[in-house]
Amino acid sequence: MKRKKLRFALAGNANVGKSVIFNQLTGLHQHIGNWPGKTVEKAEGTLHFKGYEVDIIDLPGIYSLSTFSLEEIISREYIAFEKPDLVINVVDASVLERNLFFTLQLIELETPLIIALNQIDIAQRKGIKIDHKKLSEILGVPVIPTVAVKGIGIYNLLEAAIETVERGIRSPRGIEYGKEIEEKIERIAAAIREINLPYPARWTAIKILEGDKKIEEEVKRANPDILRLAQKMAREIERIHGHSCSTVITSERYEVAGKIAREVQRIQPVIKPTLSERLHDVTTSRAFGYPIMLLVMLSIFYAIFTFGDYASTLLSDLLYGSKPFLDQFLINTLLKELIWGGVIEGVIAGVTIALPYIVPFYFILYLLEDSGYLSRIAFLMDVVMHKIGLHGKAFIPVMLACGCNVPACLGCRIMETERERFLAAFVVTLIPCAATTVVVLGLVGKFVSIEWALLLYIVDLAIIFTLGRVAFKKLPGEPTELIMEMHEFRMPHLRTVISQTWFRLEEFIKIAFPLIIISSLIIKVIELAGMFEPISVLLSPVTVGWLGLRYEMGIALIFGILRKELTLIMLATILGTTNFGVVLTPIQMVIYCLITMLYIPCIATIAAFIKEFGWKKAILITLFEVFFAVLLGGVALRILEPLGVL
Amino acid sequence: MLVPLTSLKEGESGKITSIKANPRGGGGWGFWKRLMDMGLTPGTKVKVVKSAPFRGPIEIYVRGSRLALGRGMATRILVEIER
Repeated sequence: MKRKKLRFALAGNANVGKSVIFNQLTGLHQHIGNWPGKTVEKAEGTLHFKGYEVDIIDLPGIYSLSTFSLEEIISREYIAFEKPDLVINVVDASVLERNLFFTLQLIELETPLIIALNQIDIAQRKGIKIDHKKLSEILGVPVIPTVAVKGIGIYNLLEAAIETVERGIRSPRGIEYGKEIEEKIERIAAAIREINLPYPARWTAIKILEGDKKIEEEVKRANPDILRLAQKMAREIERIHGHSCSTVITSERYEVAGKIAREVQRIQPVIKPTLSERLHDVTTSRAFGYPIMLLVMLSIFYAIFTFGDYASTLLSDLLYGSKPFLDQFLINTLLKELIWGGVIEGVIAGVTIALPYIVPFYFILYLLEDSGYLSRIAFLMDVVMHKIGLHGKAFIPVMLACGCNVPACLGCRIMETERERFLAAFVVTLIPCAATTVVVLGLVGKFVSIEWALLLYIVDLAIIFTLGRVAFKKLPGEPTELIMEMHEFRMPHLRTVISQTWFRLEEFIKIAFPLIIISSLIIKVIELAGMFEPISVLLSPVTVGWLGLRYEMGIALIFGILRKELTLIMLATILGTTNFGVVLTPIQMVIYCLITMLYIPCIATIAAFIKEFGWKKAILITLFEVFFAVLLGGVALRILEPLGVL
Repeated sequence: MLVPLTSLKEGESGKITSIKANPRGGGGWGFWKRLMDMGLTPGTKVKVVKSAPFRGPIEIYVRGSRLALGRGMATRILVEIER
């Protein structure tokens, strides 16, 4: 028997447990990709239930269906154009009013709907009890209480979903606005019914009254008279209320959401503050907020670096250990060199970064995010990020970048606008990653002094702030400010965190590996062709003349493009010693490290940059950083030499 | 008396009356729509819970949820103090 196919979409605010429900429903049968042509994530999965094959799409977490962000446009276009068989609206029971505001918009979009009233345990702890039957009656849609992290109510939810589809969906009643507004909506909607638009007429009428640019354009294309009518009506509403029409409609929608919330929930004030509340107070307090944050971050870095260093060495020993074994199969020496030196070395490079550093980093990041602590960090760091024209949320990719620039670059997606994304990603490429830190500590830290290593970091930080500020001033567009919900602290859901980490790893492999392998191959070919010496000589006016380095160091810097720690490893190979103190002067080591910190994003970061922002911007940033680092290195040399401090 | 949201002390509440335009221009439809969508509509009661140190963002309690709001944005929200 052929299974009947259905499509369900999960929609709701951010942090309501949507991805946990998604995980509970789909288990391992899921796939995370991007929306076609967009840098917004698309999670899809399948499940089998009562003879149905159900595709589940997890829409991005949003607060409204206007067009402020890419996520909002994607969600509403998906619901309106792709017409899923059912939308499961995940609602956070502990913040009912805000969530219902979104539910009301879904109802207005006339989409078939059921509600998962999630996190009722958190609501209960806050003293909130919700009469879900009454809520269902008022809204005219099924409401199923759930505690997704514990799997409670998931089966009921699925059962109710299928039942709703089988029974045939009754269109729930939308909210009624004030009489003077309703009258106008009806007039415009009547005109819209005459033209052919993919959206429901009443919804379209409301949207153009609200001044939604995208819908306005579509209506204008079909019939400009309707738009003129709507604008006239909007002005009338403005005259009556003294606020813009959009404000009036949004207010009324919130009014209704609030009224429903008050009708269905009973709040018993809890006498003792909950654990979540106490955690919130401490983690954002004037006295303890920053020390706690510092402590948390230091321990994370310490843990990741210790683990990463250990695991990285282990993996690389293991992989290089397989060389004699592989050698047996390759007889042709040139081919062997190419395959080993190019392809396999490239894979090793990728694996020794991805597994030891990226996986734990993501894992911890998602734990922090899911628990709610990340939004507190964003709150605390808003002031600092403001100095470079970004807001608190940008601190998250910045923090990631200290581990690896690749996930950080992709992590810039959390910023709302394209401008912020680009600015954040630019700053991210300047931040020394774990590998760079290894180089700085291993060269300057070990053979010059730890103070000089520290000084290099301070200089780097100053440069990041300066360049960030310049970019902020020069980039067109308006800066946005922090506006973020801080949800309750909660236990992270381990399985969801693991699956998110897994998909990040997959993404990293897809983006970074091809470029890492190709560039390893190219470098190998150059080496085999005996071009190292000529290239070193060719670069010597810059490396020796301008930067005062040894001419062999140019080649090591080229290797650094593959991965930053190669600037140290190759240096040892080329110079034939790991006792750098003997062969290099302290000034050479300091300049060399300064350049390593800034001179180019590694090839994997460039790949991520291309994916997010396109070729042009990636090349521009890369070239800029190369020139900038070389310029700065030369200037530093000319300052340090006469000072005679080294 | 109308005052910017930022001049409320921790623990004080007010009712939103209006939102000022950005003095430096910009901060147009997107900014303002976002505030509306987050529930900061005229007539809404907000309580300032906390103000981050070093002139950082403020934490407000509005419509049963906690929001962090950039200071620049918050100075443009005018409220009537409720005592």
